[in-house]
Amino acid sequence: MATVEIRNLVKQYPGAAKAAIPNANLTIDDQSFVVLVGPSGCGKSTLLRMIAGLEEISGGELLIDGQRMNDLSPKDRDIAMVFQNYALYPHMSVYENMAFGLKLRKFSKAEIDNRVRAAADILDMKELLDRKPKAMSGGQRQRVAIGRAIVREPKVFLFDEPLSNLDAKLRVQMRVEIKRLHQRLKATMVYVTHDQVEAMTMGDKIVVLKAGVIQQADSPMNLYNNPANLFVAGFIGSPSMNFGRGTLVAQDKTLRFVNSALDFQIPASLADTLVGQVGKEIIFGFRPESIYDICFPSGKTLTEPQRITIDVTEPIGSETFLYFSLQDQVCCMRTLSDSQYQPNQTIDVGFDTERLYFFDPQTEQRIG
Amino acid sequence: MKRLQFQKFIFYAVLLLMTTVYIGPFIYQFFISISQSKDVFGDPVKLLQPPNWTFQNYANVWVDLPFKQWLFNSLFITLVQTIMNVFFSALAGFVFARLTFPGRKFLFGLLISSLTVPVIILLVPKFIFMNNLRLVNTYAGLILPNLITITNIFLMKQFFETIPKDLEEAALIDGCSYFRIFWQIFLPVSTPALAAVAIYTFQGSWNEFLWPVTLAITSDKFTLPVGVGFLKNQFQSDWPLLMAGTLLITLPTLCIFLVFQRYFVQGVAASGGKE
Amino acid sequence: MPQPSTRQRDMITIAWLFLGFPLLLIGLFVFFPIGYSLFISFFDWNLVTNQRTFIGLANYTRLFSDSLFWKSTGNTILYTIGVVPIQTFLALFLAFVMNQKIRGRSFFRAAFYIPAITSSVVTSTLFIALFSKQGLINQLFGLENDWLTNPNTAMLTIMANNIWTTSGYFMVSFLAGLQSIPNSLYEAARIDGASTWQQFWKITVPMVRPVTYFVLVLGLIGCFQVFDQIFIMSAGGPVNSTTTLSYYVYVNGFKYFKLGYAAAAAIVLAVLIFSANQVQNRYFKPEVD
Repeated sequence: MATVEIRNLVKQYPGAAKAAIPNANLTIDDQSFVVLVGPSGCGKSTLLRMIAGLEEISGGELLIDGQRMNDLSPKDRDIAMVFQNYALYPHMSVYENMAFGLKLRKFSKAEIDNRVRAAADILDMKELLDRKPKAMSGGQRQRVAIGRAIVREPKVFLFDEPLSNLDAKLRVQMRVEIKRLHQRLKATMVYVTHDQVEAMTMGDKIVVLKAGVIQQADSPMNLYNNPANLFVAGFIGSPSMNFGRGTLVAQDKTLRFVNSALDFQIPASLADTLVGQVGKEIIFGFRPESIYDICFPSGKTLTEPQRITIDVTEPIGSETFLYFSLQDQVCCMRTLSDSQYQPNQTIDVGFDTERLYFFDPQTEQRIG
Repeated sequence: MKRLQFQKFIFYAVLLLMTTVYIGPFIYQFFISISQSKDVFGDPVKLLQPPNWTFQNYANVWVDLPFKQWLFNSLFITLVQTIMNVFFSALAGFVFARLTFPGRKFLFGLLISSLTVPVIILLVPKFIFMNNLRLVNTYAGLILPNLITITNIFLMKQFFETIPKDLEEAALIDGCSYFRIFWQIFLPVSTPALAAVAIYTFQGSWNEFLWPVTLAITSDKFTLPVGVGFLKNQFQSDWPLLMAGTLLITLPTLCIFLVFQRYFVQGVAASGGKE
Repeated sequence: MPQPSTRQRDMITIAWLFLGFPLLLIGLFVFFPIGYSLFISFFDWNLVTNQRTFIGLANYTRLFSDSLFWKSTGNTILYTIGVVPIQTFLALFLAFVMNQKIRGRSFFRAAFYIPAITSSVVTSTLFIALFSKQGLINQLFGLENDWLTNPNTAMLTIMANNIWTTSGYFMVSFLAGLQSIPNSLYEAARIDGASTWQQFWKITVPMVRPVTYFVLVLGLIGCFQVFDQIFIMSAGGPVNSTTTLSYYVYVNGFKYFKLGYAAAAAIVLAVLIFSANQVQNRYFKPEVD
């Protein structure tokens, strides 16, 4: 088992004006499950492929278990990878697909057989061993791809968006299965996805990337509760955080957030950190679940009532989302499913004072 | 509804007419080839009457002419060229599709641009070259220039490019060298493309006329097309014999086509490499 | 520039290992001959006496003052202009028909393709029979014309032969292109009220433009080089009405053994093809998105 260390890693494609990854630093602990997440083109796959050895490293160092890997070819890094399109050899049976890497490493026939059968057992696909990939469903193929990684018993498992070709139901099922596999194998796993729900549910640690830069690396709940900047705040959570621009105003020894739609007092706990921003423009963020209708008891300390007009209601069964506009910005509010809201209805709401987020519009960093 | 049926009728009438235009001549050819009388241009209806039929012309082609020798020459040359073309175009196609090395783009561009150069321009130099090597009127001279065809390299490259990159990377991680990726992964999944290249080459080599007619001087080195072209001048009045000979030449390509029809049509556009 | 990794070094080694022999062959039998052709076009070189004299551009000046050369050039261009548009349109039309829901599709497809896989020697011989004075064509249409010995119709007959053989070949190219057009486009057109014929002109033709371009380029290169059919069917006659440039090169090189002169004519043909391609690129090349 292994730790992976990334030190000042750079990826510069020849001829490209900007580095795809300017300078990445990250430590992946032994036996941890780390998810790299971000929108497409953020460099998450590039980073993974650099760990795998499929992309050249332009600068910095990659260490696995303290050993420098930069110049080793993929086969010498003791890693295994599961691809988005499964990448099964179409002319080989499931058994041969799994055995291929071991054969090339000159394992004995008996050992290969042991490992393949054990992996087939874990993944519950013993009866598929003689099949060709063509004769299998997407989910089965993905199992084989995972099996091919398992039999190698590598130091590090790499997953490159392995579930994005599966339908929604199967995706949830495989998610649980991979998670269980991690608990069982106790291996270091690095997992790339663009789906923040997948990231939240699977990772011990989530690394959020944007434009080749690591925005924040933390546990799922910390990311959710304490996003470091505007991007992470907006990216993590579904439906995503609502934002509105406004100004901080000092009034009667208190601070207020003011724009054309909102006007409320900032709680004392935040006022101290924000006092430097008085008179400046600021971005206010709140999650759909931290805004409450004042007509019902919420058990939270709320800000003063703000009046909003509901545009659209969206019942999804377990809950209902209300959409309304604040300064032309569509915002979302979560309510119980038995609430009887109607479009065009006007209601008074308050924000949970414990859950207010403020960002600097220039640096986009969180300031409170 | 009536109008629709009328449209359908017109459609099938056109289809039938086209079919007649395209295969009618071969049927005409067949009936001439089994005619007893050498006077085949009298009344075409006579050709269709069974009492006038005979297969003697085929026997004559086989026995009286150096047909067996030409058949051997054609088969030998075509087979060697087909096998080598499949092999070489797979190698070169793999390189151009999957490996990066300095000069790759330039080299490939050079190969492709040479496709517009007329073959006739190569004829004189190739002949002088063969003449200097004393290879005129030899099998080696007939075979060597067509062991590799640039279009085949192009076809294989196109096909290999449809094989997902993941497959190659999975193999790299599994521990394959590039040679092994080519041999154990790419070749086995490329049978449709290899078959297409083989079929195209077979057909091209089998039907090739310009080079053998230039290089083969004596009858014992003629290929079938050259031989039949030669017969045409010798036996212009013996149409049944001539038609029997030309029909025999057509048979191998026809059979291959009918058996492997799907490769012609799907051919290289096929997605055999995709899962 | 960082040091190439082992993986890159592997690639380079394998690349040259794989390419070595094919490139050698292509060099010997394609690139060397191209250069050598240019070289000998400056010589008076007789294959029989094997005498070689440098004569500069004399072969070219002689060529340009030979009326038969100009006639061959004219014949070649006429042939190309006659054949390419018809074969292209016919190929597209056949492909369109083949792409409809018809019974026995593979039979019809095979029927149209068979002339394309048949040796040019065979189809040419067959055409001599069909178009001879007492041949089937005259009998069917009640004509008395001896197509191949009549200077007015010899070229037409050879053009017909080429159209007949290549249209089925290019049909397959078009068929692949047609199959990549999503069916929903046709369904949308049908809902909009387009007839089959309108669908052909308004959807099929524009959608297969890249294939059309490819077929036009290949067709043009092929037509400019026509040789086999001329050799078998007419030997350039009657009264040189079917002498094309390729045939002209062949006759000068291998009948009169004027190698330098033949090479010069071949170079001119190459230039002609190259220029025609440039024109095509300029006016017909579909934009790549």
